[in-house]
Amino acid sequence: MTTRANTLRDVLLRFGFLIVFAAFFVLFAFWNPVFLQGGNLLNIVEGSAILMIMALGLTLIVATGGIDLSIGIALDFGAAFAVVAMSTYGLDWFSAACAGVIGGSLVGIFNAILVVGLRISPFLATLSTFFIGSSVQRIFTNGGGPISYRRMPTEFRNIAQGDILGVPTEAVIAAVLVVIYYLLLERSIWGRRIHAMGMQRPAAIVAGIRVNRILFGCFVFAAMTCAVGGLIAAANIRMFTPLSGFSYLLDAIAAVFIGAALHPRGRPNVLGTVAGVLFLGMVANGLNLMGLNFNTKDALQGIILVSALAFAVAQRRARGS
Amino acid sequence: MRGEVPSVLKITDLVGYLPLVIFGLVLTYISLHAPNFLTLQSLELIVMQSLPVVLVCAGLAVVVMAGGDDVVSGGIDLSIPATAVLSAGITAQMLTSGMPLALCAVVALAACIVVGLSNAVLITKIGMTPLLTTLAMFVAVVGVNNVITVSRRINVDHSWIVALRAQEIAGIPAGILLVALIVAILFFAAHRTGWGLNLQAAGGSRDAAEISGIDANRLVAQSFVVAAFTGFLCGFFLLARGSGSSPGVQDNLMLEMVLATFLGAAFSPRRVVTLWGAVLGALLVAAISIGFKSIGVNVFWTGLIKGSLIVVVVAFSALAQRGR
Repeated sequence: MTTRANTLRDVLLRFGFLIVFAAFFVLFAFWNPVFLQGGNLLNIVEGSAILMIMALGLTLIVATGGIDLSIGIALDFGAAFAVVAMSTYGLDWFSAACAGVIGGSLVGIFNAILVVGLRISPFLATLSTFFIGSSVQRIFTNGGGPISYRRMPTEFRNIAQGDILGVPTEAVIAAVLVVIYYLLLERSIWGRRIHAMGMQRPAAIVAGIRVNRILFGCFVFAAMTCAVGGLIAAANIRMFTPLSGFSYLLDAIAAVFIGAALHPRGRPNVLGTVAGVLFLGMVANGLNLMGLNFNTKDALQGIILVSALAFAVAQRRARGS
Repeated sequence: MRGEVPSVLKITDLVGYLPLVIFGLVLTYISLHAPNFLTLQSLELIVMQSLPVVLVCAGLAVVVMAGGDDVVSGGIDLSIPATAVLSAGITAQMLTSGMPLALCAVVALAACIVVGLSNAVLITKIGMTPLLTTLAMFVAVVGVNNVITVSRRINVDHSWIVALRAQEIAGIPAGILLVALIVAILFFAAHRTGWGLNLQAAGGSRDAAEISGIDANRLVAQSFVVAAFTGFLCGFFLLARGSGSSPGVQDNLMLEMVLATFLGAAFSPRRVVTLWGAVLGALLVAAISIGFKSIGVNVFWTGLIKGSLIVVVVAFSALAQRGR
């Protein structure tokens, strides 16, 4: 009896989150067979691309021991700079994309100045960036009206609407970024340094890691990544919608922390984040297909989010002891 | 870095007061340009507007006291505004279907305590970080509230709720008196009782508190229930301020709560979150918002001004702390 209970417990501890993942998958598939069709699974991947990109950027910041509440602003700036570069300055699509990424990097540089230069805690610094960035967008668009550019070059539109060998371009971009982030954060010396400063900052300083330089780089790189998400968002609807990045923030935070909870030592990591993003994407898609009304779906999604996080953390705890 | 300390030492005392000085200057500027700003009537308006924020700030201050003031790993409760909106939503929904206010209040209280207890269990038993737990809880509670109210505005004109806004006792609005009383009770509990001392000890240094026999986990759990209770109370003041429950109030309430509470820390001598600091912060934030509106600053700029204020105040207090 005890052995059986023990093995059950072991299985739960090892594969707990995977089982939850699978259970939801089966539930959704059972509810609506459309869920399992190849087209819909591709939908989930395509629909999660922007969230994936944002969550990657956030993973980097959380790995340094901080938090970034302004990733949505970086997305907005990326979209705004790219759209304005094309519509007002008539740049070609590639220069416009670069302008978008540079625009996003401004947000990162601003964060880095606050956190590294003025030593404001990342939470409060990026909260102010969020306030300031939102306000700048309101002032720039005279209250928050979208800037549309219907005659967007096809190449730029293809960032979101084209495909490469049958796979949607945005999914390809997200996948490439996942690989880059994986190599950077989990397989390189920089990644080691980032994790080191995230876990034991004083020790990292004593060990000679240039903490400030790394932190600066991380904020800028994360913001540039989120700006790529902005390019996709802008290409998708052929316009820049101010303040649209905020809607990704909570999901991105959830994905990163689900991922961290899956890690044996509770560290934010790229593969965990990918699992978190796909889980959230699957739940959103599945609940949609259940045909629930908008409010119920929202509430259920929130409750599933809390439970999934609790489950993932409890699993890691139990495994540790 | 250590070497710089002596030369900075004398300036730091001054630097410590700079946040207050800056606020003073901004408010002086506003009152010079809007002569009506400093009248009793507009000050009363500011206080009335800030009442819901004051309540949630007081709740957050208790949580931060118990959990420590590191924003990421210490105590924080972002779900209080959602709890407040839930309390308002349940009350408004039940009132419109003709139930007595007392019954509405009991149901709303039960729902809010459930939120507080869930936070407490997730954080102290399962070991999730407060920031993450309460952020996720915020999303879930707002979702549940949207199901209850079907995301629509509900007007409330119950005489007791209207009284919170309109009734005056000895010339002072009843709402202000009530919030002052609640804050005073919380202050007494947090600063003048054994429970309050243990609470602060737990937040100040968890390890030291536990070694001296204080059950820190239990205090942290209690602080989340207290916070949920302030959210419950705040719900009624939201109903009074907005003449009913409207969807979407929680977002701005959350931003103002965080801004005011951590701004308040910059005013305390040890740069820690305190109840008075949080309340003062809430009043100042309301004063600045209303002040800028009254001198005709475009609403689009409000976020920019608030954001810059956080940066300036927090940067100065960080600077002052480094000098110590």
